[in-house]
Amino acid sequence: MNRTITSLALTSALALTLTACGSDDGGDTGADAGGAATGGEAGGLVGTGTGDDCTIEESVPVGAALSLTGAAASYGESQQKGLELAAEKLGEKDGVTYDLTIEDDGTDPRQGITVFEQFTQDRSVIIGPTLSNGAFQAQPIAQEAGVPVVAISNTAEGITAQGDHIFRVSLTEAQVIPQTVEVSTEEFGLEKVVVMYSNDDAFTESGYDVFASALEDQGLEVLDTLTFSKADTDFRALLTEAKAADADAIVVSGLIEAAIPLVTQARELGIEVPIIGGNGFNNPKLMSDAGEAAEGVVVGAAWNSASEGELNTAFLADFEEKYGHQPDQFAAQAYTGLMVIDEAVRAACSGEPDAIKEGLGGVQDVETVLGTLSINDDRDAEHPAVVQVVEGGAFTPLN
Amino acid sequence: MSESILVFIALNAIFAYSFYAVLVAGQLSLGQAGFAALGGFTAAALAPAPSDLGELPALLVGIVIGMVVGALAAVVLGLPTMHLRGVFLAIATLGFAEAVRILLINAEWTGGANGMSVPKVVTPAIAWTCLALVAYWFWRQGPTSYGRALAAIREDELAARAMGVDVGRHRLSAFVTAGAVAGLYGVLWAYYVRLLAPEDFSFTTAIDGLVMAVVGGSTVWIGPLLGAAFMTSVPEILRAVGVEAGWIRPFISSALLLVVIIFLPGGLASLLPRLRVKAPAGAMEDERPVDRGSSRKLVGPGEPVVRVSGGSKDYGGVHAVRDVDLTVASGEVVGLIGPNGAGKTTLVNLISGLVPPSSGSFDVLGTTPGRTAVHKVAQAGVSRTFQHSKLFPRLSALENVLVGAHVVSRPTFLRRLVWLPGARRDEARVVAHAARCLDRVGLADRSGEDAGSLSYGDQRRLEIARALAAEPSLLILDEPAAGMNHVEAGALSELIGSLAAEGLTILLIEHNVGMVMRTCDRIVVLNFGEVIAAGTPEEIIEDPAVVEAYLGGDAPPPGHESEEVR
Repeated sequence: MNRTITSLALTSALALTLTACGSDDGGDTGADAGGAATGGEAGGLVGTGTGDDCTIEESVPVGAALSLTGAAASYGESQQKGLELAAEKLGEKDGVTYDLTIEDDGTDPRQGITVFEQFTQDRSVIIGPTLSNGAFQAQPIAQEAGVPVVAISNTAEGITAQGDHIFRVSLTEAQVIPQTVEVSTEEFGLEKVVVMYSNDDAFTESGYDVFASALEDQGLEVLDTLTFSKADTDFRALLTEAKAADADAIVVSGLIEAAIPLVTQARELGIEVPIIGGNGFNNPKLMSDAGEAAEGVVVGAAWNSASEGELNTAFLADFEEKYGHQPDQFAAQAYTGLMVIDEAVRAACSGEPDAIKEGLGGVQDVETVLGTLSINDDRDAEHPAVVQVVEGGAFTPLN
Repeated sequence: MSESILVFIALNAIFAYSFYAVLVAGQLSLGQAGFAALGGFTAAALAPAPSDLGELPALLVGIVIGMVVGALAAVVLGLPTMHLRGVFLAIATLGFAEAVRILLINAEWTGGANGMSVPKVVTPAIAWTCLALVAYWFWRQGPTSYGRALAAIREDELAARAMGVDVGRHRLSAFVTAGAVAGLYGVLWAYYVRLLAPEDFSFTTAIDGLVMAVVGGSTVWIGPLLGAAFMTSVPEILRAVGVEAGWIRPFISSALLLVVIIFLPGGLASLLPRLRVKAPAGAMEDERPVDRGSSRKLVGPGEPVVRVSGGSKDYGGVHAVRDVDLTVASGEVVGLIGPNGAGKTTLVNLISGLVPPSSGSFDVLGTTPGRTAVHKVAQAGVSRTFQHSKLFPRLSALENVLVGAHVVSRPTFLRRLVWLPGARRDEARVVAHAARCLDRVGLADRSGEDAGSLSYGDQRRLEIARALAAEPSLLILDEPAAGMNHVEAGALSELIGSLAAEGLTILLIEHNVGMVMRTCDRIVVLNFGEVIAAGTPEEIIEDPAVVEAYLGGDAPPPGHESEEVR
């Protein structure tokens, strides 16, 4: 019995190994064929016409490396849905089709790098990865291979500085926060504020830096700056201090874990002034966990479901129909990513990596679900941020 | 196979080896992620930039920094935690790794959670060269006295101690090796992934490394490599065969893991034929003596080997041993008898240093058991068997005996690393010595079998062979005939007789009174922890106190009518 089991295990292990070798060989051949195709033989990826009339014979191969499992899986799943919906919509348009392959990096740098390496062999453009740290690890591979990348959720500084093939459609903190401050100042007539942030987290600390310079630029007076730890859950002492300062608003750069108790305790202490949060606050958990207390919290974002615009309304309806629930910002940004790629492909009517790279660089004033979007000289996206306020348990645009 | 898969197999294998380094010694540590993080970040921060020095020199400097930092961290963590065992050590080391990660996230020089950008230097060739060196190290380590001592600690720490293995030092050196190898992994990782972030060294990373080492086989040097190749390629294979991206892939990976662990408890390496140390034919004719160790005090015939006066051991209110005086002279065979619970085993535990006495003075071969560490007492020439066999079950019979020879064999590991011929000669000499010891107890033909698979009687004899291999000045046999049948016990009696005839000093606990009467020069009888009689076998047989203790007074004394009063 034991022997049988051992030999069974051995056989299956062998079989796996053999399959691995076999499919690896197959994969290589496939890549070669792809390489030949991108060389432009037999029509291939170079089409005729321009813009909406562009016709490309072959499907343009697009790879997306997303975190479908692991720590960032909830973001990756939204992105996958957004991309699949976009591919479906683009398939209805004539002329250009996309062969979209979505791969999982498991929120693991090792798999992220491997997936990118494989994509550079047979994909004309790569979307992703989900997290900024993963982006710094994987995107240089595409840069070196000369395959353009469209980042759809990375907010860190320096993503596009990695090379001239790296583009992004997601807004950075530095793009969202100044608008948040500007719109809130107008809306609430702010003059003096108290700033609170957790100083032991890189993300919230860089968020604070952007807040601080934005407040200075807008000429607001900072009455006090209070720091806390990201592990803190009791903010009453700090909030009492903030309340005593008698500010027009409290500006907070913190993660959602801090945001919920902070907002709840502020309202308990009778602080009724607006609380303005960074990107960490941009999370539906704020309303579900803080409840009533979240009312009046102002958060900047790249996208809001209630934003007006024909495209956005259609996107919401299509998404709801396909998946049975509302999209979030990650889905909207992913959807936009593929739409922008389509724009770039049609610009020169070519699915070649170089042509897509040029096309992405030339994206100007394209109507997307995120609003009118342009790619600037730094290959970062520019589009209006949405400043939203919690009203009736939902994010509502302020601007 | 793409470049990155090749690199990651090598990197993962190196990380798995850092777990293997301590698993072979039976230590479960999860601190390797912390060592790797410290090594990687320090190297990336301190090593010169590849643009200044050239890629390979910069990497080499980084590797040296990383390995030193990893090893130092292991010393710092190891010193206070080396007395912890099993899951307690795992938790302590896990706490260390988490502390390191938190520290790195909050430090300025590491770039915090956003990490540190590091140039990519590592290529598949570099990664595999490093892996080859690491694997080579552990391959050469296995069949040396150092490697066997680690295996012995893993199998039975107490027995290893009693065989003269300095458990603390061996465990710490295994830990430091793990730290250095983990540091190497950290540096290679840093110089490959371009962005070094503290989250790359999280709890899941540590678990990955542990799983790879265990799945591959944590007792065979090739194991970590197999485990890393398996765990790294499974996601790629699933991708290649077209399994849809998403939860199904980690599910299949985990299920495969389960299958491997259930059907191959020894890991993937158990699919490979296991190479055993074999006693070469004619090895026993190799009569060159083993090195008895220069530190050992030589005892002339008739001089006292053991001197106990007023020896007592209390466990709470229980006086296990009370005010015992005992002297054993060199060349004597002393029998220690008494009813169950009389304190015989406690007394020999006191003499061999396994338990400290409550009071009394003990002098054994110039050491003070109880105050002198157990392995030092063993190194002084005390060798023993246990009442309940304490063999190293997953080692072969010959390997068990080789561990017994630990105190009389010269360290060969460093010489084996550079293939010095002297190492091979020394190993061959010890193997021949061990084979002779096996032959002596009649187990020569069983040398390749696992000790755990031997019959009970054979296990008892193997334990005697192991004790003999230490070339003891004092041999303590704790009920060697227990569980043996009549024939086996007879053969054992002959063996002890022949050992005694050679002038070996023996302290024998035995219930088989016939055997004791035949072989012992002097007999000491214990009851309720006290010596009730001592003298020659003839005197003991006639002693009324002994008769009283054994049979309650009326019946004739032991040995008169039955050979086996049990």
